[in-house]
Amino acid sequence: MRLTYIALFAFSLFASVTLQAQESPYFVTYDHHLEEPGNLEIETSSTVGVPRAGQHWFFAPYLELEYGVTGRWTSELYLEGQSTAGDSTIFTGWRIENRFRPLAREHWINPVLYLEYENINEASRIRKEIVGAAPELNESNAELRATRAHELETRLILSSTAHDWNISENFIVEKNLSENEGFEFGYALAVARPLATLASGKNCRFCRENFIAGVELYGGLGTTQGFGLHDTAHYAAPAISWQISDNTSLRFSPAIGLTHGSSPALLRLGYSYEIRGFSTKLARLFGAKP
Amino acid sequence: MLAQNSAYQPDPNWRVPQDAAMKPNPLARKPDAAAGGKKLFLRNCTECHGQDGSGLVKKHAADLQLPVVQNQSDGTLFWKITNGNPDRGMPSFSKLPEPQRWQLVLFIRKLKPEN
Repeated sequence: MRLTYIALFAFSLFASVTLQAQESPYFVTYDHHLEEPGNLEIETSSTVGVPRAGQHWFFAPYLELEYGVTGRWTSELYLEGQSTAGDSTIFTGWRIENRFRPLAREHWINPVLYLEYENINEASRIRKEIVGAAPELNESNAELRATRAHELETRLILSSTAHDWNISENFIVEKNLSENEGFEFGYALAVARPLATLASGKNCRFCRENFIAGVELYGGLGTTQGFGLHDTAHYAAPAISWQISDNTSLRFSPAIGLTHGSSPALLRLGYSYEIRGFSTKLARLFGAKP
Repeated sequence: MLAQNSAYQPDPNWRVPQDAAMKPNPLARKPDAAAGGKKLFLRNCTECHGQDGSGLVKKHAADLQLPVVQNQSDGTLFWKITNGNPDRGMPSFSKLPEPQRWQLVLFIRKLKPEN
């Protein structure tokens, strides 16, 4: 079964389509850059969980559709699932995310407001955010999928650019609307920089300018019933993105668990394709004047 | 004959701070860097400004060949690329490294018609 998951992971490395330009390497942290208005980005990502003793490998893929509604508003739809070794493969839910940039110009620190509604079940494993206490990973999918969670997640995203370094901080608050269990808190911090800042005159796939490298640090901060670091999960995650072509990119991040409540590692892979001028193309398809 | 986007009207509210407008292009003595600027322009800008910068593809996009654009300083063009004008459809390109935004300015200068 372990070989099956290794094969699936290797397959996910190659089974991607071309995607977007200059994609950030982050998987959990958000910076202040939004999708260009009218553009649609399609991304397939996956999280592979390395187990502790008594736990099982899991593979959690998700599809992301990101659309630039306006210059200051980006909206995303997520569809997710997971497959656990020795258990089953299930659909775990969907999410709708919105990011709003309140300030029109670039500033020393750029704030972005984030609001996401999650309609998922307790078997979700994509780990798009780490909040609250460390999760239990011993229950079966059949038990977990029976428990639905309607959650609201908000973030304060703060992001800066200095000497071509991006420095981003996210403060996360999540509330399960289905349960009376208080608020859950988390954080995500990241820095990243392109490997080269001057563009060459040639089209080249492996130029250093096509790579952005960084590192993320993210984890849970407990709940209103027990705030702090006790029994929480935290990860340090180097990350790299590679712009393969004008509108496609690949990114990878091996996250290392730092606490007993963390998985030993989370292996993340993402592959995206950007359709520029999607709204214009769609309008023309239906005969409307764009 | 210049390609003209007759529908383009400069936004009078898109004002550049004076200190930003006075910034010189650090790549001004590296004209070879404009080739990279062309690559970046084709990748990021042609959707709205067209391959020749005339802005005919999207009616609100500036015609970059016009004197009203070419007469702006390097610092002004850099500031506008960096900040965008999101309420008028021009995205911010602050995600590009600073040298690449200066390369775009170098290339925009090459769009100026010879006559």
